[in-house]
Amino acid sequence: MPPHHSRAAPGALARILDRSRIDALLAPWLPDAADRAFVVRCVLDEGPAHHRGANYVLLALLGQLLEKSAAGAAPAEEPRVPVPLHLPPHLREQVKHGTFPLGFPARVLDRLAPRGSAEQAAMVDCVTDGPPQHALANAAMLCVLDALLSAQVPK
Amino acid sequence: MTIQRSVFEAFRVASTELGMCSAAWLFTREVAAAGGDALVRELQETLGLEYAALHAVTERWLGGTTKPAISTGEVVRACAGAANVAVVGVEADWLDALVPLLGDAKVTLLTSPLVPVDWERLAANFGGRVATLDMSAVQQLAGARSVLLTFCYGTRGDQTWVDPLWMRVSGGDVRTQFRSIVGWEVLGTAMQVYPRWLTETSADDFAELVS
Repeated sequence: MPPHHSRAAPGALARILDRSRIDALLAPWLPDAADRAFVVRCVLDEGPAHHRGANYVLLALLGQLLEKSAAGAAPAEEPRVPVPLHLPPHLREQVKHGTFPLGFPARVLDRLAPRGSAEQAAMVDCVTDGPPQHALANAAMLCVLDALLSAQVPK
Repeated sequence: MTIQRSVFEAFRVASTELGMCSAAWLFTREVAAAGGDALVRELQETLGLEYAALHAVTERWLGGTTKPAISTGEVVRACAGAANVAVVGVEADWLDALVPLLGDAKVTLLTSPLVPVDWERLAANFGGRVATLDMSAVQQLAGARSVLLTFCYGTRGDQTWVDPLWMRVSGGDVRTQFRSIVGWEVLGTAMQVYPRWLTETSADDFAELVS
């Protein structure tokens, strides 16, 4: 009996995942090529296929929006929310470079809850927690959303 | 002249301490010096059937290649900017070439009680430049400026072969805790006999597979 709904076949996934496209999208936030390669690998090459495919679809479409706008990355001095590496608890303080190279501008969440509030802290937890393919895709989408919103809906 | 049985035992020790490929080149060179191509062929048809890397190296020797082509350009680029380079497995000749080129990066050899080797003595060969750490603690070396590196043998298409220890540290959690996962092809040729002491894996396991 065939499955009741289709699954993302590895071959089909391999055809749709255009790593260079996501690499180019992230360049304004991650100027270092090795940092970008790390993040792109985590978002598109690690974890379950359906998550990797979904990450690609959402980021590629956000990238199309970004191309059609005059939006750009937040200034470097804008505070960023780091995304921690998914390390065992006892190593979180011990590892020197314990965050992924991609964070997202803190200001984007200011649109939803005041900075420093418990509500915004909960939002940060939600978007940075979980496996790296989730947390980093969230951060990448928030970077792009911040750029789009800042260009169209100044706070 | 024929190869003494003690050579077989010596190769087992050497391949553990120097790495399959480095030991294979050393023994092939010495056997050739003692008995020429005929003795190299005997080595291939005896011990080479047990050690696929040795078989491949003797094949290259008999084809006219008398030393390994150790190229560091790609692997140095893959490790550029790293604060930590964690190495799984040993290939002495390749590490001898690479370690001096890694600048300020801390180089750590991941050890395992599963391998009967004096790890501290092995690391001492690098003049204090290489530290050791039990591989069960590999995550202590994790970070956005950390590289996890191992040696690959006989990569063919999307297949490659690695030290079995690699399988102990290359889980999905560790993969996303290191900036890059690097495989360094050291054999440079396909293996013709079953590599019983190595483990097959996918070349896709590596963010970069360099040679």
